[in-house]
Amino acid sequence: MKKTILRVLIIVALAAVVAGNAFSQTVDTAKYKKAPPWTIGFSNASLSNTWRVSFVEQLRYSIDEAKKKGLIKDYYETNANDDPTKQVADVEDLITKDVDLLIVSASSSEALTPVVEKAMDQGIPVVMVDRNISSDKYVTFLEGSSKNMAKLQADWLVQQIGGKGNVVLITGLAGASPAEDRLASATAVFQAQPGIKILAREYGDWSVVKSRQIMETLIQKYPKIDAVWCDSMEAVGAMQAFQAANLPVPPITCEDANQFLKLWKNDPKLNARCVTFSVRQGSRGVEIALKILQGQPVPHLFLVPNTVITRQNLDQYVRMDLPDSFYAETQPEVTKRLFPGK
Amino acid sequence: MKLTAGYAWRKTAEQSAIFVILVILVVIAAVASPVFLKERNIYNVVLQASMLGIVATGQLFVILTGGIDLSVASVIAFMSILSAGLMNGRNELVYPVALACLGISLVIGLANGLLVTKLRIPAFIATLGMVLIVQGIRFIYSGGMPKGSIPDGLLFFGRASLLWIPLAVWICLAVGALSAVILQRMTLGRSIYAAGGNMRTAYMSGINTDRVQIIAYMLSSFWAGFTGLLLTGWVGMADNWLGRGYDLNSIAAVVIGGAVMTGGKGNVWGTLAGACMIALLFNFVVLLGLDADAQRIVRGLVIIGAVGLYVRMSARA
Repeated sequence: MKKTILRVLIIVALAAVVAGNAFSQTVDTAKYKKAPPWTIGFSNASLSNTWRVSFVEQLRYSIDEAKKKGLIKDYYETNANDDPTKQVADVEDLITKDVDLLIVSASSSEALTPVVEKAMDQGIPVVMVDRNISSDKYVTFLEGSSKNMAKLQADWLVQQIGGKGNVVLITGLAGASPAEDRLASATAVFQAQPGIKILAREYGDWSVVKSRQIMETLIQKYPKIDAVWCDSMEAVGAMQAFQAANLPVPPITCEDANQFLKLWKNDPKLNARCVTFSVRQGSRGVEIALKILQGQPVPHLFLVPNTVITRQNLDQYVRMDLPDSFYAETQPEVTKRLFPGK
Repeated sequence: MKLTAGYAWRKTAEQSAIFVILVILVVIAAVASPVFLKERNIYNVVLQASMLGIVATGQLFVILTGGIDLSVASVIAFMSILSAGLMNGRNELVYPVALACLGISLVIGLANGLLVTKLRIPAFIATLGMVLIVQGIRFIYSGGMPKGSIPDGLLFFGRASLLWIPLAVWICLAVGALSAVILQRMTLGRSIYAAGGNMRTAYMSGINTDRVQIIAYMLSSFWAGFTGLLLTGWVGMADNWLGRGYDLNSIAAVVIGGAVMTGGKGNVWGTLAGACMIALLFNFVVLLGLDADAQRIVRGLVIIGAVGLYVRMSARA
């Protein structure tokens, strides 16, 4: 009897250990361990907005720091200009260059899945940063958590309008995983509120011009808009649309884009909240890459925390001396590289 | 061809087909969404149509010569970055910097023209290459992060109205009228049509086809640059990708308006009607509340349908 109980306890304990590991989803990277210096390839979706420029500069900065320590000897970077077909070709090129590790920010989740899986099959570890593929076949996916970002933004809006009213959602580029994830996350929050009506869900392409055009049209169609959810700088376009129509700007959300922070600082009546999608994930991506090549275990999913900017702590983040294109979470060393002389 | 009354009637029908289609679309839009006819909505549509219309008018000159200018969007973005960076919020610099920017646009147009005429590079390739060259220059200048700011003088230019009609619309009408005069009444215009119709014959008849083409490309870049300044004033900030879509949309407007890609055929008012159609469609699909994918399908179908209808109407001519 005692032996049986002991055996059962041991089996339960072992099961718990196994389950615990699966739950935290740590990846064993021993098979990728290699001696430095390494060759790293980064396939970038594009530099089509200033967030991406800051994000890539963070990444490059971390690569340069690693080069100084003798950990990295070669670094190849490709830019697909938002063209998934080109990006597939870019990844193939990097594989041919015999990289030890690939960092990829996918312009389209579906299109990039086969080639990333192929890289993994060939034994090249892949770190997905910022934009993911649609399967699970990579070592680590790292992002600033689009889902959390959108949820924090949407929850705040729900609170601002007391759970009742009309909401417009404008997100980024159709097909890009951050835009789609954020839109889905915010939609779920609003749909859970019976008193909230979603008037429209549009793609603003992370462009102020397009968002403004969309918002101007929506203002004509819907006389009563109580809240506007934007994941990013579409908020600037949306604000301009309300101002051009001589209407007060409803509660609105954005991210740490300096252009919005400056407008916010200069308008005491604006009711807004910004949640960051940290540009520093570029650097975190490189850190995880280095760990993988050293054979250290890494998480399968790594979420860089989102910072919340409110009217109260706005002064810590806004930089009136820097141009609109600055992102408040950029590391100071990287800020110096982006804006020399500041 | 006998100059009968029947022929004259058919020719008029062919030229007015696009306007008839535009009116039909306006009616459909008004019926499907009553908001469409609201004053402010028409204001918005017409403003967007005008900015596209100015670029499309420049594009028309190039397409009339049998060429194509894919670099217009890149030029617009370049204007945005340059004007913000150089003006840097100072009102007194608006005119000098604007003139400098327009000068740079002319240089880009000149480069396009020279590539096509002297180096005999096909226009598609030459202007496609120019897109990348201008993009590269833009990124080197800005480091990927646009700097500076737009002074009030330029903001005013992009946002002002005269008699409740946006300034951009007046400018577009003026550009249209000026271009129509050049094309219908001046030797340059006749030379452009001739060169586009048959380059060799035009050359043999003594027309300096190289000069005519270079002028066309310079005009296209000039109007693209001008629109870039207008758009920058409207948006109020530097944007590395301002003008996205203006390349294909300006070509579409020109072709919807009755031009043929081989050159020699086309007119200004048709082009402006084409620009109106494109702006109208963009507005209409948002008003209908369609989701993003349905929006694209509807826009594509309408453009194909409209041009198809137009081709059938003119085939009877």
